[in-house]
Amino acid sequence: MKKKLSIGKIVCQVFLILWLLLCLFPLYWLLCFSLKDTQEIFSGNLIGLPTQWLWSNYSNAWNSANISLFLINSVIDTAITLFFTSLLGFMSAYGLLRMRWRGQKAVMTYIMMGMMIPMHAALYPLTETLLPLMGTHAALIIPYTAFNIPITILIISGFITNIPYEMEEAACIDGSGIYRTAFTIILPMMVPAIATAAIFVFLQVWNELLLATVFTTGKVRTLTVGIQQMSGQYQTDYGSMGAALVIATLPTLVLYMCMSGQVQKSLIAGAVKG
Amino acid sequence: MKRVLSNKWSIAVFVLPTVLFFTYIVIIPIFKSFYYSLLSEIPAKVGDASEFVWFENYIKMFTPGRRNDFPGAVLNSLTYAALSVFVQLPFSLLLALILSTGIKGESTYRNVFFIPVVISSVVISLLWQRIYKDLVPAIYDLLNIALPKNGFLANKDTKLMAVYIPNLWQFVGYHVLLMYGALKSIPTDVIEAATVDGASAPRMALQIQIPMIKPMLKVCLSFSLIGSFKLFDTPWILLERANKQLPALSMYVEMFSNHKYSYASAQAMFIVFECLAFTMLLNFIFRDREGIESRKGRRRLAA
Repeated sequence: MKKKLSIGKIVCQVFLILWLLLCLFPLYWLLCFSLKDTQEIFSGNLIGLPTQWLWSNYSNAWNSANISLFLINSVIDTAITLFFTSLLGFMSAYGLLRMRWRGQKAVMTYIMMGMMIPMHAALYPLTETLLPLMGTHAALIIPYTAFNIPITILIISGFITNIPYEMEEAACIDGSGIYRTAFTIILPMMVPAIATAAIFVFLQVWNELLLATVFTTGKVRTLTVGIQQMSGQYQTDYGSMGAALVIATLPTLVLYMCMSGQVQKSLIAGAVKG
Repeated sequence: MKRVLSNKWSIAVFVLPTVLFFTYIVIIPIFKSFYYSLLSEIPAKVGDASEFVWFENYIKMFTPGRRNDFPGAVLNSLTYAALSVFVQLPFSLLLALILSTGIKGESTYRNVFFIPVVISSVVISLLWQRIYKDLVPAIYDLLNIALPKNGFLANKDTKLMAVYIPNLWQFVGYHVLLMYGALKSIPTDVIEAATVDGASAPRMALQIQIPMIKPMLKVCLSFSLIGSFKLFDTPWILLERANKQLPALSMYVEMFSNHKYSYASAQAMFIVFECLAFTMLLNFIFRDREGIESRKGRRRLAA
């Protein structure tokens, strides 16, 4: 009996390790070929470590392939989007779930319905609406913010309803107005919720391609569009391409490594978005 | 106190900016899309007439022709959905069940499985492009097997499958995490009671664990179904330009390459309807059976 159990355990471990390797191998491979030159890859060293560590691939991608520009654009777009989803998400969650008025449920349902609808549906009319802003960061930040507001409200709503109303009562008795109560008493308590939502939105926006392809031109291209176009131009320069991919992945990977628990929590909370 | 919390002005300040912004950027464009999908073709210039043709674009969309294969694209996305549901999800469930037994290194496995999820699908696609172009031929060479003609990504029989594999691979970790979390939240006394009664691991999984995590399975199912219908990034990068073999690709090409805005809007609306239809189907399948029965019982009692 005991022996049979341990055989089962070994089989399970082997199974898990195999999938673990399958998850890690593409990343290891990417790191390796970002440090090789094309010739080395073609002369047979496909999966081994690079014989010479070519850090010049990175400076190459950074300078001549404009990766630095795309990176800055992605940082700007993501940061501004996060600021607005957090601010608008908190304010409307407060108004929708803490305050009392007729029709608050209906408005909540109205916004939540927006979560079920894929961005594809609004694509063409949005190109008309945002036409005057084309070529600026706003053309991307505006739809990113709007489409990520519902999930932000939903994640915050799970936390905001747990705060006892005594908080507001005490503040009110002390003579604090509603805005001061919301922003100096409730908002600090909502920081974990807003952070959870923000991590989810960060990953959505940082990795987004469809809207970025349509709404960015020239100097405001984001990383996803930039490396996708670079892949066409740099078809023969594997090393630089690999370096660009590593640079694009680093921010999310570092975030995940520093706070994997928090990132996982965010993605569990956001899973309902589909 | 009550007065403060129902002050109309402050409610407006908190809620109205978001509602207006959301309506203008999300809701109105969706209705516009629907309206455009009912027009003959959107005028390129002011003054050009565009006719209201009801559902002609939708009919055209589903009339198979030499230059139109939207039904085929929909079928392909349904195949993707089926692959997710019948391959990716059971595989993830198996991994989650093993992990939830408290096997050695469970959190390491869980954390590593999740790494591909946080990486951009653009990076994943370009990485798999290299895998298909360099690594796979090398492996086939080594094993002395002939590659499909033109390689996996260009061969018309294999390319759709090849495009979907990175996606299946990437999101296993997400499903494992969701299912694992749900499995861990099953009360331990239920599991202990079953163990005392001598339930074997497979029986425990089938009769206790899986039924108890049904709500999470629904989330996973809807995530993978909707994901397959909307899929754009991976095929957009891995397939040749102007490929229309998937609904989102077809919509994009008709819209931005062929400038057939009305026709493309009809396809966009179809993707929306497809997603909504499957969400409703899942709600129906996973409806609260006990709730219905107890309501029936109450009705019977009342009668």
